[in-house]
Amino acid sequence: MKDPVCGMEVGETSNYKTMYKGKIYYFCSSHCKVEFEKNPEVYIKEGPKGMPDN
Amino acid sequence: MGDHDKKPTDDVLANPLRLRREEELRILGMHCATCEVTLTKAISAIQGVKDTRVNLASGNAKVVLEGGKLKDVVSAIRKAGYDVALQKFTGKVIVSEEESTRLRQFIEELDGVVSAKINPSSGIVIVEFNPMTTSSERIQEEIRKKGYKLDIAEEKLSKSSEVRKLLLYLLVGALVSPFTLIGIPILQLLLSIPVVFFSGMRFHLGAYRAIRNKTMNMDVLVSLSSLTAWVYSLLSFLILHSGYFFDSASLLVTFILAGKTLEAYIKEMSNRDIITLQSIKARKSTGEIVDSRKLKVGDVVIVKSGELVPSDGIVDDGEGYIVESIYTGEPSAVKKVKGDPVIGGSTLVSGFLSIYVTRAGDRTYMAQVIEALREAETVRMPIQDLTDKISFVFVPSIILISLISFVVWFYIMHQTLTFSVLIAVAILASACPCGFGLATPMAVIIGIRRLLKKGIIVKNGESLEKLKNVRTFVFDKTGTITKGEIEVRKFQEYVPGTLELAASLERMSSHPIARAIATLSSSAHRVENFEEIEGGVYGKVDGFEVLVGKPELIKRNCEGETSGDVSVCVNWKISADLWLSDPIREDARELIGDLKKRYKIVIATGDSSLYADRVAQEIGVELRKGLSPEEKVELVKKLKSEGGVAFVGDGINDAQSLKEADVGIALSTGTDIAKYAGDVVIPNLGSLKFLLRQLSKTVRKIKENIIWALTYNAILVPIAAGMLYSLGIILPPQYAAIGMAMNSVSVTLWSFVQ
Repeated sequence: MKDPVCGMEVGETSNYKTMYKGKIYYFCSSHCKVEFEKNPEVYIKEGPKGMPDN
Repeated sequence: MGDHDKKPTDDVLANPLRLRREEELRILGMHCATCEVTLTKAISAIQGVKDTRVNLASGNAKVVLEGGKLKDVVSAIRKAGYDVALQKFTGKVIVSEEESTRLRQFIEELDGVVSAKINPSSGIVIVEFNPMTTSSERIQEEIRKKGYKLDIAEEKLSKSSEVRKLLLYLLVGALVSPFTLIGIPILQLLLSIPVVFFSGMRFHLGAYRAIRNKTMNMDVLVSLSSLTAWVYSLLSFLILHSGYFFDSASLLVTFILAGKTLEAYIKEMSNRDIITLQSIKARKSTGEIVDSRKLKVGDVVIVKSGELVPSDGIVDDGEGYIVESIYTGEPSAVKKVKGDPVIGGSTLVSGFLSIYVTRAGDRTYMAQVIEALREAETVRMPIQDLTDKISFVFVPSIILISLISFVVWFYIMHQTLTFSVLIAVAILASACPCGFGLATPMAVIIGIRRLLKKGIIVKNGESLEKLKNVRTFVFDKTGTITKGEIEVRKFQEYVPGTLELAASLERMSSHPIARAIATLSSSAHRVENFEEIEGGVYGKVDGFEVLVGKPELIKRNCEGETSGDVSVCVNWKISADLWLSDPIREDARELIGDLKKRYKIVIATGDSSLYADRVAQEIGVELRKGLSPEEKVELVKKLKSEGGVAFVGDGINDAQSLKEADVGIALSTGTDIAKYAGDVVIPNLGSLKFLLRQLSKTVRKIKENIIWALTYNAILVPIAAGMLYSLGIILPPQYAAIGMAMNSVSVTLWSFVQ
């Protein structure tokens, strides 16, 4: 499974997750999760964009 | 032992470039490339860090330090949300108050040492180090090389035998010294030898060690004064025949020893209440009596009325009333029957219990408390920098005053040599630097112990100081301000049967809201793919996709309009709305009413329901609602720019905010204090008031102690110098010594009066 924001491999054991449109997304860090929640459609449609700046 | 062991510090002083050191750290929790970037940024931002290389693959960070501190690197890594694999050892070192700062600095300068903490009053030293660079053995060896005795055995840590050691020396002094008053010089000379050189040996050795480590302590004064008196008397006996004071030399050592013994005794008494709780006689059901530390999980112990519960466990049989003030802060007894949990260290006031031990050894509540306290008590208050400075110049100044007085009396006032030497010796014997060193640690220890009696556990001693500067209190709502016993006040079901499905799903979660919803129906449906997400839960219930959650989560995932505090979606359509309520704790209302007068109060809650508004309105404080854990941390960060922030919340869900705040206060909900984040653990909200009150008392006590120690010296030294000679008052060395001894005894005793 991939982090939709940075593209890292993440497991379902990750503590960073959110649900969007009925699907659960897992993240490598809270940065990626926060970033995703700001703009979920962009990441779902356009794929990972690499590390967000802090 | 040779000269080589002194070199590192000497070289560092001579050449600051030697401070350059390379450390490799094992980073925990690094699992993606962002981490690498975040960490490198965080570490590089520290002053004195020359180079940083973080390696995701190996999970290591290489840091080149030039003047920077490893401690800062570790705290930066932790602040960034990661951890470092470190090791720690606790030992007991014999060190005087004045030297402890010097020793701490020495240890912290060793390669691989992250932090060293010393409690100058008990000698407990806690060293945290990087196991990739050094080992506990290597650090211990370095400390011993410096001439300090270091014990790391667990029994030695708790059972202080200082008093017993001192008693033997004191006994010799006390038995022999009176006979030195008999006016036969040869007898005086012979009798003074065991007192000055056997009883006084610890002072001479201490002085030697201090001077070797380029510092000065009280031992230097005692050693110098007793040896000066003795050597002068010997010369007088052999050559000058002018006057002897072998008796003064002997009595001086004896009196100071008596003072030291008394001081050590008082310190041990203050430790005793805790030590006794750690080692309790336990009566096993087999009839065997063992020390509570020897108990194992699964043992069954018998406790009779009036006895202490030896370990944490569950009542297996019998019933009785237990006072658990050490844990709850509540002085009244609670009834315990079969199946109830009990805490080691609490007292059975009436009844008879057979207890099944569920936690033993290091895992017991008491053992955790003792470990936390040990660490907290090594705290250094900022005011100690001042007392350190005083201590540092104190001894040399006294020696100088002593020399000047000698010169003045002998050469200017034309007094006899004997008189002038006596004055010089009396000055050395009268001045006591230990009062300064003791002032802070004694007050802090007593303060922390007072708090413990009310069930308040100080895990980080610095928080006492920081609490003083707090301007804003941030409270978590659920479970802190409110009872956390959430009830469903009202609900609307748009699709019949929705709540039954929701209740089955919520049964899988322990969240307070989940528990409330779970009670709505008792029928059990099959739940698959259960997931707990921020703001709600999801699962397949009887084949239906069910999501129960707060409005934000629902809006992102379901069709329809939400109007409740919590909504339920079945197959991604909103099928029910629920409204919640959570009663305010009685003690919260009162406490916040009080705190509002002095602090800014903010309630931060994840709850976005209208009910949160009602709570805030009712207590009359600012509310920030609907915050995620990350947003709570951001809020704390923002508030910190306006001054100190204390966060009061539950130690598990609010861990990050508790860490970010200047002072994190965790409301305990269980006995596993090690797993709580936060600097202070309180048993109930009401105890916050006691904590604040005790804090101001402790701070005041520290100031009083320092003023006392200063005044004491300011009065005694001039008298010893012969200022009142014209009135016929002089202070013989042995009486000056009583004054010196009583200075630290009085500081120790005064600390108790809090």
